Amino acid sequence: MTLKHLLGGVLIAAVAIAVIGQSNAYLVYVLSMAGLTAVVGIGLNILVGLTGQISLGHVGFYAIGAYTVGILTVSHGISFWLALPLGGVLAGLTGALVSIPALRVRGPYLAMVTIAFGFIVEQGAAEMEGLTGGWNGILGIMPPVLFGTMFGPTEIAYLVLVLMLAALAFYTLFSASPWGKALRALRDSEVAAQSIGFNPVLLRCAAFAVSAVFAGLAGGVYAAMSGFISPESFPFFESIMFLLVVMIGGADTILGPVIGAFLIVLLPEAFSWLAEYRLLLVAALLLVVLRLAPGGIVGAVTGLLPAAKARTATAAAVEVAPSSARPLVVDAIAITFGGVKAVQGVSFRAEPGKVTSIIGPNGAGKTTALNIVAGYYSPDKGNVRLGDTDLTGRRSHRVARAGIARTYQTTQLFEHMSVIDNLMIAMKHGRVGGVETVLPLATTARRRRAEALLAFTGYSGDVERTAGTLPHVDKRLVEIARALAFRPDVVLLDEPAAGLSEDDTQRVGTLLKRLADEGLTIVLIEHDMPLVMGISDHILVLDQGVKIAEGTPAAIRENPAVLKAYLGEGASAVRRAAPAKVPGDVTLMVANLSASYGASEVLRGIDLKVSKGELVAVLGANGAGKSTLMRALSGLHRPVGGQIQLAGDHLEGESADRIARRGLVLVPEGRQVFGQLSVVQNIKLGAYGRPPADLSAAVDEMLTRFPRLRERQNQPAGLLSGGEQQMLAIARGLIARPTVLLLDEPSLGLAPKLIEELYAILAALRDDGATILLVDQMADMALSIADRAYVLSGGVFVASGTPDAVRASHTLEDAYLGAAS
Amino acid sequence: MLILSALVTGLGLGAMYGLLALGFYVTYVVSNTVNFAQGSTMMLGAVVTFSVWVTFGLPVPLAILAGLFASTLWGLVVERVAVRPFVRRGSEAWLMATVALGLLIDNIVLFTFGRDPRGMPPTPLTSSTFQLFGLNVQPQQVLIPVVGLTLAVLLTLFFRRTRHGLAMMAVVQNQAAARLMGINVSMVVSGAFALSGFFAGVAGILIAPLFTVSSTMGTMFGIKAFAVAILGGITNPWGVMCAGLLYGIAEALITALFGSTYTQISTFGLVIVALALRPDGLFGTREVKKV
Amino acid sequence: MRSFIRTRMLTALAGVGIAALSAGLAAAADPIKIGHVAALSGASAQSGEAITRGLMVAIDEINAAGGLLDGRMLELVQRDDESRPPRGLIAARELIFNEEVTAFFGGIDSPVGLAIVPLANQTETPFIAVWAAATGITRNGADPNFVFRVSAIDALVDVKLIDYANTKFGASKVGLMLINNPWGESNERGLTAADDANDAVEIVGIETFENADVDMTPQLTRLRDAGAEAIILVTNTPPGAQMMKSRERMGWDAPVVSHWGIAGGRFPELAGPTAPDAHFIQTYSFHGEQGPVGEKVISMLAEKYDDVEDAGDIMAPVGTANAYDAMHLLALAITQAGSTDGDAIRQALEDLDGTYEGLIKTYEKPFSAENHDALGPDDYIMVHYEGDEVVPTE
Repeated sequence: MTLKHLLGGVLIAAVAIAVIGQSNAYLVYVLSMAGLTAVVGIGLNILVGLTGQISLGHVGFYAIGAYTVGILTVSHGISFWLALPLGGVLAGLTGALVSIPALRVRGPYLAMVTIAFGFIVEQGAAEMEGLTGGWNGILGIMPPVLFGTMFGPTEIAYLVLVLMLAALAFYTLFSASPWGKALRALRDSEVAAQSIGFNPVLLRCAAFAVSAVFAGLAGGVYAAMSGFISPESFPFFESIMFLLVVMIGGADTILGPVIGAFLIVLLPEAFSWLAEYRLLLVAALLLVVLRLAPGGIVGAVTGLLPAAKARTATAAAVEVAPSSARPLVVDAIAITFGGVKAVQGVSFRAEPGKVTSIIGPNGAGKTTALNIVAGYYSPDKGNVRLGDTDLTGRRSHRVARAGIARTYQTTQLFEHMSVIDNLMIAMKHGRVGGVETVLPLATTARRRRAEALLAFTGYSGDVERTAGTLPHVDKRLVEIARALAFRPDVVLLDEPAAGLSEDDTQRVGTLLKRLADEGLTIVLIEHDMPLVMGISDHILVLDQGVKIAEGTPAAIRENPAVLKAYLGEGASAVRRAAPAKVPGDVTLMVANLSASYGASEVLRGIDLKVSKGELVAVLGANGAGKSTLMRALSGLHRPVGGQIQLAGDHLEGESADRIARRGLVLVPEGRQVFGQLSVVQNIKLGAYGRPPADLSAAVDEMLTRFPRLRERQNQPAGLLSGGEQQMLAIARGLIARPTVLLLDEPSLGLAPKLIEELYAILAALRDDGATILLVDQMADMALSIADRAYVLSGGVFVASGTPDAVRASHTLEDAYLGAAS
Repeated sequence: MLILSALVTGLGLGAMYGLLALGFYVTYVVSNTVNFAQGSTMMLGAVVTFSVWVTFGLPVPLAILAGLFASTLWGLVVERVAVRPFVRRGSEAWLMATVALGLLIDNIVLFTFGRDPRGMPPTPLTSSTFQLFGLNVQPQQVLIPVVGLTLAVLLTLFFRRTRHGLAMMAVVQNQAAARLMGINVSMVVSGAFALSGFFAGVAGILIAPLFTVSSTMGTMFGIKAFAVAILGGITNPWGVMCAGLLYGIAEALITALFGSTYTQISTFGLVIVALALRPDGLFGTREVKKV
Repeated sequence: MRSFIRTRMLTALAGVGIAALSAGLAAAADPIKIGHVAALSGASAQSGEAITRGLMVAIDEINAAGGLLDGRMLELVQRDDESRPPRGLIAARELIFNEEVTAFFGGIDSPVGLAIVPLANQTETPFIAVWAAATGITRNGADPNFVFRVSAIDALVDVKLIDYANTKFGASKVGLMLINNPWGESNERGLTAADDANDAVEIVGIETFENADVDMTPQLTRLRDAGAEAIILVTNTPPGAQMMKSRERMGWDAPVVSHWGIAGGRFPELAGPTAPDAHFIQTYSFHGEQGPVGEKVISMLAEKYDDVEDAGDIMAPVGTANAYDAMHLLALAITQAGSTDGDAIRQALEDLDGTYEGLIKTYEKPFSAENHDALGPDDYIMVHYEGDEVVPTE
């Protein structure tokens, strides 16, 4: 809480006191109602704003507070001042109880649990006649008495004001405290919050309970203020109003619920002369506000304010690694998903001060292995140890607390938090205590260390910037800095160079090397071979879930098994029988195409031509931009610039479904069959955009071309083997009689024998005159059937020509395994 | 006897909850959104049918068509006005926006149709009764589950057998791949909301002869139907229909056996317990998370 | 553009806030303001409209005759309570403090009425209930008591209902069908008390139902199995009609004796062919032979409202009749008090000079310090529907 906040509080108090002094009894009552609604809203904001959960049952907690005060003061003569806190506590306990089923469910399921809770409280109050007075409610609840004076409407208004200011102060402190930040972290990325040691169950339960306490206290004051409560005082509709208060005012803002509450309560009063047309107007207004001010009113206003001054990190000496980091020992781990052996008996040992890399083609099981180490999956067999500590089967937040930090393939920053908060919350090691609800997370020591770490990683931007708005490379750096802030022994990195430019990749490489030099245990999964070869001390090669090689970079580069796993082996049987024909007309022409994800450019100035009846292959390592090229051509990813022409028609900027209907049909990476639909239904769907004259004949033709599919024509596609699914995906593309068929990584994750079968089919298609653009990691295979090929590396074509010419250029080995340095 | 009559009551109402809940299902699976004010759509179907039939004196089939048309159209309007703009910017405010839109139509109907609840004129389906195991039953009571189950079967056939139905299923399972098949995903989402409105309209028109027609008639049905959809595991059409029947029967049985005092508390309590034990609904399946 | 709209919106919202605040400073002008807090929207909206019409017709008459207190006109200020007590409480506060009404009328919902009672007594503003029948509204223990009623009172109605079931239909065992809300609950108490006092009748079952219940066969089956020979019904028209339809479907012919909730809102249309089986209590019927006041009110209603042509078009007649008489009684009290002071009006009401020939009856000292109910058991009549006509059964 800063001076600014204190001044704001004083200002609110001054305005409120002035207004209350000027108001008649009606207005004072309405203002008090607004104040109480604000208190509920501030509490609900903890749930909605900080944890991102929705409750449509908060009126239930409000009612519990109100009934506690009503029953205790009227029937038992207990003082209001004792009954009120009891009401808050009771609501809080109920909140914790309700959160138990609520924690297991999400989205609409959660909404339903809270709705049901609200109804049960309303109905329960009506039926427990002895306690609650049933439908007639409790009459004659006396206003509180203090120092012998009974509160009138004005005194109650001041009481409400005090309660509201206290709620605001608590929220302000709580929101800046480790609790508040941890809840936001959980909201932005549950996975990442767990990986810095937070227990989501505990945090959510606490948020629910605290939020309920606010509603309970407000309800208690309401009972004393109105002097009368009945089940009809707490209808379901009120819960919706509470939620609206937060959304209209602005979730995750301090003043949002206050402004929302005063609007929602005062606005209808201002229009009271409309009598029965009031609800109509309120509904219309709501719709307008929701449309025009998505971040709520406070969000809209802050959007207009000038941004705060940028602040860059101050570099300082910082201890990155513990004095003696422990090694990570993985022993024969194995896991099976639905019959697929994703990882089988993989063992390795990652030493402190060394970079240990895991490489392998797509689908080799690298990320799965990493997930087992991080505790996200529990292995079927084998174990994971950090030094002497056995971590096998521990939940991920416990693994993290033991000393393992990680980064993700797609960065998992806490996107709506500032860069420095991302780091400081990691320093909590997943532990937040009771007192810390009101202590700020940002201490001088933490701030200094966080800035030092940011400077260490080379992040030079604004430390107060919202993490989600950072350029890609900065996200990577901040994510690594966050992992360091956690003070781990081991850092697991999943493709930190993905989507980075060559220069930025080098920066990251240097940083990782420095981290190892500081004594950390670094485990790296990466496709960028120059990076892997450049910084690794030890490399592990996985293929189809099995470790096929291990050793130094030099040894791995020479290893024939590794080359085979990456490039595959070409079979001569599928070469085109006749010598390459004279190329026909150009069917697909791509000129100067570029594409990017966020700020990182993935494709630069691609020129490509495919002629009628030609089979053209695009080769390149993972991350070279092959799939992006396919996605850009098919309209799934909108290119930044350039032209795409199909038979003379411009396609750039068209939507994917229109492009497909024009005849440029993609068989996507990973098959993407519709798993719950049958084989025949999948094939029929392929014809959706370009229906043939006789659909069943066309389907039959496909089943004839792929006899294995005929055998399983009525089975759900999800039950087919990988190879069969690939054939189905191709059949689904072919039935649209595409002008050009795009094939993205058809051999991915298939056994060698199946790959050969698949390529025989592709060769047959080629011989039947189909026009095909093929992208595959299996370079030798692809070259063996292609008429022409392009080699893609770092987003540009580095070679092109006939298969023999491409082979002779030796660009392939460099593209796949990195140039020998 | 008591139990038998509760079963007949429960089946009729349950099938209607199921129909409304199917409306939640179709939009949720293709777009992860629902019209939270589904009860208002149902009301619109009944009110328009009543007005065309009684107020304007046109033939019944025409009135039913008009009611279905209105509710279907309203489904489209809801998607355009209260869902699409919010989904576009990744906001969850569609939930509140559909509630607001429901409130709006409720009040518009209040001022145009009138404050007075109205009763559908008797038809042979409501003015006669027949004996079933010694129980007096109106044909309309049987008609609701028959139409409900028929529509559920037709929906299944539509999904399995027709071109557009398959396209919808494709969108449900994999949006990107569906686009690659030439399927216009936003059209499919619109279609789902239209279908959802249609189901609500059918439910409204079916229940109207047994109930009263007014601007507020759908509110409670809408909430119960949402409970049913969630209970059934909103991603499974037969689960949703079964949950509807179960909910209706549970309501009637609890009333018949233990008296009406605790019906609402028990049914909503059961919903919470069921979700605590099976977080994805009775018939739902867990979506697999990936890192 | 976007931010421009936002700025505009914010300015507008700020303006609204200021308007709400300054409304408090508005002073009462020349006319005498009469308040009305009732359900103007939602399921009970019809009742609010009926009261409005009764009040308006009476006000038109008074204003046409030159107003009150040397030519001050009466002005009706209405607020919607949405049938919810908290809303009604806020609306009443607004009428009292902002509009500074001289007195105000209440609507159909007893819970709203009960919630308003303490406020009326605190602020010394006469509050006249013209529909809500809960006993505690007038018998609220306050002294002085500013709450009056020109309507039936549950405690007495319940005695009448139990007695009628026995004397008219010879039922010795009755089953109760009550709406699950405060009104139903209040009558459950009243009916049980009435039953205790009446040796000829025994209550064999008490069932409740919700406003939105479609099928009440389970509840009715329980009552039939318990041996009920007549059904005592307390609810409003829509659920009441649902009860009649369920009863018809079961083929049960036990007579129905009902509180007056089913009087308004097209009960015959909603309940169907068995509607005449329900006998219910009324304070007034516009059907049948009318006195001069009745003829006058019907013609004034027909003149003022397009949808009224004859007695059959008067929806929820109780509200209109009670409100009409209550407004005239209030006007007499204001004249007698000679001022718009709340306490003076209260004293005048408690001791009205002369007689007033009203719609329901001729009033002679309708209120006293002890009795704030203008109508008693002698003024209740039992009626039932014959077609759309409400016809007395006694």
